[in-house]
Amino acid sequence: MALDVSKFIKAPEYGITIVTYRDVFQSSVCDEDRNGKECERLSAVIVLDATEMKRMGIQDGVNVRLTSKCGSIVVRAVSSPREEQKGIGFMVNSPWSNALVYDETTDGIPEFKNIKVKIKVTNEEIMSHRELFPL
Amino acid sequence: MTEMVTWTCTGCALLCEDIQVSISDNRIEHVENACMKGKARVFGCKEQAVPTIHGDKADIDDVIKDAARILRDAKNPLLYGWSNSTNEAHIAGIELARTLGGIIDSTSSFCQGITVNEILSGSVPSCTLEEVREKADVIVFWGADPMSSHPRHMSKYSYFPRGELRQRGYEEDRTAISIDVWQSRTAKICKNGFHRIPPGKDAEFMRGLIEALSGRVPKLSFDYDVKRILELAATLKKAEFGVLFAGLGLIYSIKEDITLLSEFTAALNQFSHYSLIPMAGHFNMRGFNHTLHEKTGHIYRVKFVDGKAISGVEYSVIEQMKRNADAVLVVGSDPLASLPGSISKRLKDIPLILIDPCMNLTSRVADVTIPCSTSGIEAGGTAVRMDGKTMDIHALVQGNNMSDEKIIERIIEEVG
Ligand code: SF4
Repeated sequence: MALDVSKFIKAPEYGITIVTYRDVFQSSVCDEDRNGKECERLSAVIVLDATEMKRMGIQDGVNVRLTSKCGSIVVRAVSSPREEQKGIGFMVNSPWSNALVYDETTDGIPEFKNIKVKIKVTNEEIMSHRELFPL
Repeated sequence: MTEMVTWTCTGCALLCEDIQVSISDNRIEHVENACMKGKARVFGCKEQAVPTIHGDKADIDDVIKDAARILRDAKNPLLYGWSNSTNEAHIAGIELARTLGGIIDSTSSFCQGITVNEILSGSVPSCTLEEVREKADVIVFWGADPMSSHPRHMSKYSYFPRGELRQRGYEEDRTAISIDVWQSRTAKICKNGFHRIPPGKDAEFMRGLIEALSGRVPKLSFDYDVKRILELAATLKKAEFGVLFAGLGLIYSIKEDITLLSEFTAALNQFSHYSLIPMAGHFNMRGFNHTLHEKTGHIYRVKFVDGKAISGVEYSVIEQMKRNADAVLVVGSDPLASLPGSISKRLKDIPLILIDPCMNLTSRVADVTIPCSTSGIEAGGTAVRMDGKTMDIHALVQGNNMSDEKIIERIIEEVG
């Protein structure tokens, strides 16, 4: 049996900043059913510039692991239809993006829209709500 | 029999008062004029909350008694949420915090609270949405994307409608500007009025604009066409009635420099007439600030000591949930979903009471769950719109649960 060497090769990691945004389609679906699959599908996504994705070896639609100072999640990476600023990923505000937010503040307002993370391609599944906050 | 009623939507802080709803046998049948977010609010959540103690179904009187016991036994109880509650529920919540000698804070603590503070303290001028509709000719959306957050904002007030002084509407009479880190749905509508800036550079861009307003050529640390910023300053100066809609993208970026808002509006007002309106999200985020301000002189983050209210960052929900709170009452919010992940993890270690019409992520860690009616659907009262105008909101149908206001009053009786 041939050995699958890809398992032993560590996917390269890149540093990016996540900026969060609102989306009426996602928020309406999640208001109706926070625990639902559709809410997960619309929330657990990061949007990146297409050239940046190429540079980082991330293909459109693959899963990526995002790791910040205080959390680590798996979401789907999709390429933006427009050219975006380099080094930035966009995530809709949701429990997924919030799981990466660090609580250290001097003014009581955490950096919800300025989240420093490492990004790498992964074979792991997208994390569900429950996996974000294991009891 | 089907009855048609005109309703004020509580889907967001725009509080659209022109929604038509047909009701038959205490059931909502049809909704007109509301956006999809408003409709989602009307038809409610899939999974409704039930009274529970440690996950087991319980009698409503017992859950209220248990909630009161938890709060009474706590040294440092925190009462948090409130942006989906009426002003009347806020009054009851403030009373409960006072009775307990506890802390009260709302989601505005890490949202638009600091902006509302600038307005209520008189540092930044504001106006009503009706004035925007009738008079505004230059509309700036800074770090704000109403097309995604408040879907009827542009069509009902800020850009598309005809107004008393703007009879030619957006086609000729209004100029929309978007300053943002990416081309949002709103930015697309603004077309050439879209200015893309790097994240975290809002303060620098604003200072650059102040320079440009006074005729100086600004120097920016990032790559930006100076000609465009000078043109933008010229457009801003020419306004007869300008308005700045401040979104969270702007507020988070300049939070350590929030007085810049008053500097900027003062600079604009040397040439024109400008006001600022915060893009409050939840339907009554601003109401909490107004009610607390009226009762205590503070807009958020209040602790009661011997009946006296003190306010400070140490009483913010973030600081309290991180270390001090030894019991939390959550009203109409889902902190597990909306607070930083690191704090959310701590929530399962603190006794937690959740008052909400729906099951949410926080329900999973709540020691006590108390179902309440949905404000603006099953319970009425008053609420404060994003521009500070107090609005009446009416119940559409009769629900099975008490309002959050009534539940808090019952807890006060038990605690007292
Ligand atoms: S814009 Fe807001 S208030 Fe108006 S209908 Fe939509 S959700 Fe309701």
